[in-house]
Amino acid sequence: MSAAGTSHNQAAANAGPGGGLSGLIAKRPEFVTLVLLMAICIAVTIANPAFLQPSTLIDIGRASVVTGLFALGVFVILAAGGIDVSFTAIAALTMYSITLLVQKYAPDLSIVVVFAIAIAGGVFLGVVNGFLVYTLRVPSLIVTIGTQYFFRGGLLAFIGTTWIMELPGEMATFGRLSLLEFETANGAIVSLPVYFLILPVVAVLTWWIMRRTLMGRAIFSLGGNPEVTARLGYNVKIVHLFVFGYAGALAGLAGIVHITANRLANPFDLVGTEISVIAAVVLGGARITGGTGSVIGTMLGVLLVVVVDNVLVMVGIPSTWQRVFVGAFILLAAAFFVTRQRKFKPAK
Amino acid sequence: MSLQAGEVYHLLGENGCGKSTVIKIMAGAHPPSDGQIILDGEVHDELTPIQSLDFGIETVYQDLSLIPNLTVMENVALGEQLVEGHGRLLRTLDRARLKETATKALSQVGLKVTAELLSTIVSELPLAIRQLVAIARAIACEARLVIMDEPTTSLTRREVENLIDVVSKLRSRNVAVLFVTHKLEECYRIGGHAIVFRDGQCVAQGPINNYSRTDLAELMTGRKISEKRYRTGAPSAETLMVLDRLEVPGRFRDVSFKLHKGEVLGITGLSDSGRNELALAIAGIKPAAGGSISVNGKPVRIHSASESIDAGIGYVPEDRLSEGLFLDKSIYQNEIALILRKLASKFGILDMKKGKEIARDISEKMRLNTADIELPVSALSGGNQQRVLIGRWLSIDPEILVLHGPTVGVDVGSKDAIYQTIQKMAEQGIGLVIVSDDLPELLQNCDRILVMSAGEIVADLNGAGANEDEIYQAMLGSVQEGAA
Repeated sequence: MSAAGTSHNQAAANAGPGGGLSGLIAKRPEFVTLVLLMAICIAVTIANPAFLQPSTLIDIGRASVVTGLFALGVFVILAAGGIDVSFTAIAALTMYSITLLVQKYAPDLSIVVVFAIAIAGGVFLGVVNGFLVYTLRVPSLIVTIGTQYFFRGGLLAFIGTTWIMELPGEMATFGRLSLLEFETANGAIVSLPVYFLILPVVAVLTWWIMRRTLMGRAIFSLGGNPEVTARLGYNVKIVHLFVFGYAGALAGLAGIVHITANRLANPFDLVGTEISVIAAVVLGGARITGGTGSVIGTMLGVLLVVVVDNVLVMVGIPSTWQRVFVGAFILLAAAFFVTRQRKFKPAK
Repeated sequence: MSLQAGEVYHLLGENGCGKSTVIKIMAGAHPPSDGQIILDGEVHDELTPIQSLDFGIETVYQDLSLIPNLTVMENVALGEQLVEGHGRLLRTLDRARLKETATKALSQVGLKVTAELLSTIVSELPLAIRQLVAIARAIACEARLVIMDEPTTSLTRREVENLIDVVSKLRSRNVAVLFVTHKLEECYRIGGHAIVFRDGQCVAQGPINNYSRTDLAELMTGRKISEKRYRTGAPSAETLMVLDRLEVPGRFRDVSFKLHKGEVLGITGLSDSGRNELALAIAGIKPAAGGSISVNGKPVRIHSASESIDAGIGYVPEDRLSEGLFLDKSIYQNEIALILRKLASKFGILDMKKGKEIARDISEKMRLNTADIELPVSALSGGNQQRVLIGRWLSIDPEILVLHGPTVGVDVGSKDAIYQTIQKMAEQGIGLVIVSDDLPELLQNCDRILVMSAGEIVADLNGAGANEDEIYQAMLGSVQEGAA
């Protein structure tokens, strides 16, 4: 008995990722993302040492919040084996309608309540997605393409198309609330805004849900094999509603952060950025086929995309080239992960 | 049918007789259209998976039903916490208990539990360990009834022995065990009750020792099947294929044998003996690194599956579902898959009429249980699928056919049809190589049986004279020496 056990364990060890660097990469694909990110940062610093100034770093942090919130939602849905392209429309719809309502009926509403309403609205729209995906048994890509058009069309047709330049009450001041302030060498003041804190809090919450609750395991399980997950007694419907609802909540949250940061509510904003968010999540090591990924990887992927978006200008690369770089990274990472996976596929 | 605590039951029947459906109903995966399930006197019209698990019905599914991207520990022990919360998902994981439960269950099925094993992702495990993990999951919770759907298909004898131990332990804890299997020897070894299904109906239930093998086979198929030796012909003296010192480093070495025209040659050994790799090397799927193969006296180069086919060698893979069949395509399309080029006209247009004729002919020869060649292969039972797969090779008249586990997961009736086809092919002068761990199958069909152990051929036995014990000893011989 023990002999059989040992030989099998050895076989398992052989079939599984080996030790050393390649094993680490197979087990933790986000390691590649980290290396890529560091390589870019080092290259940029060498080309232009100004990169390491606090002001640049704060810029990057500030720019990561909205993309990061979206990305965490996408990660959760990808882990469950689905995909969502409607989250930007959810964000646009909730942020714009709430701004209108607050402006019209309750200009003094506390920002906390505004966030709560936005999250509730996001959950509602997300649950609609989840319900449709579950009951229609249609791939979530199709469903969310449909709802993206629906939500956005509804916003522009029925709610409004004009920019709101003057945000009401606390929505206007919250974006300026700062956590840290620096005076740069040239005397300008840069500040890290309070809303930056939202991202790490949500990231930790997401990590906790995915790693420490039964729901998290059910989500990965669904992404691994939906049929078996149902057979093992998991309530697959609840899991669907949860992941889309959660992504919706984060979209609602991201929407309000977006307008308070820009001090402007533009109904045409955000929609169109889905692909770069999904790209960030995939760059963070989550497979588009579902069942994998991590919060750390997602955050690294977001940083990678934001850094490329923001700092290439500093080394003299025109902004029009940013997309070329992001695209190249995605292809590179994809090719890399695929060859790794083939290499580590257990021999039959 | 009724099940009592602390008893072992063997659910027997041909493929497609309704065994799997009954299991699914008990596990709550499939609602019954009529009738009732009575648990401890409580009447249910249907069960949900959670109700079923809550009552203590645990299932080892034929497809194992493991979640490929979760770790071994999670696969084994998550169910406990899920059932405890009656399916409620919004609760935190008790990770210490997860580990404890998984460790206990895994060591019960005979795996050496290490931190590495616990954190290994299931899709990275070899099939045999996955099967053990699936069994560990079933016994991880306080089960009252454990259903095992063909739990031993990819286990070695030693692991089967261990499983039998596990079953008797379960039994002593007053747990009922329901086995679904085609391996009758195992049923007799374990003992208990037999429940025989035929065409969706329970045709017999009683202590298994009251039935002989032939009784059971008769009950299952509804016709008389004897345990006769199928092999009646004799090989011709003409040499067909010669393997000379074939080698795949680390898997097998120095494998030389001759195959005659019309000969049925069996190859067996434990699953790590190199027999599987040998079959793959002959078929060109994982080509040999050293040595040579010649067919009809001419050396042939086999570096890919298509070169193997060109050399006149056909190969029926072990895993018919993933390696052999186009499941959602029709019987007809599966059967003509090898001769598409022959059926095509100058302009590349297929002669469908001729193709269908050939397919009909093959279906008849293979005694498929349907005449409808447009039916998708996925609609067929395992035995019939296997017949389609073997039948496909009839279309190109191969000189040599390598059959890898030709009756794995196949019922008695289909076995009979497959064996008869094997013999018919041998009579036509085809040389057949059967790679299998089903010893009665080899003894019933082969002229010669080669036994492999640790990568080498250790015995060359006469099929008519050998017995199971002799083969088993040869298989284990060098392994035991090594281990001792």
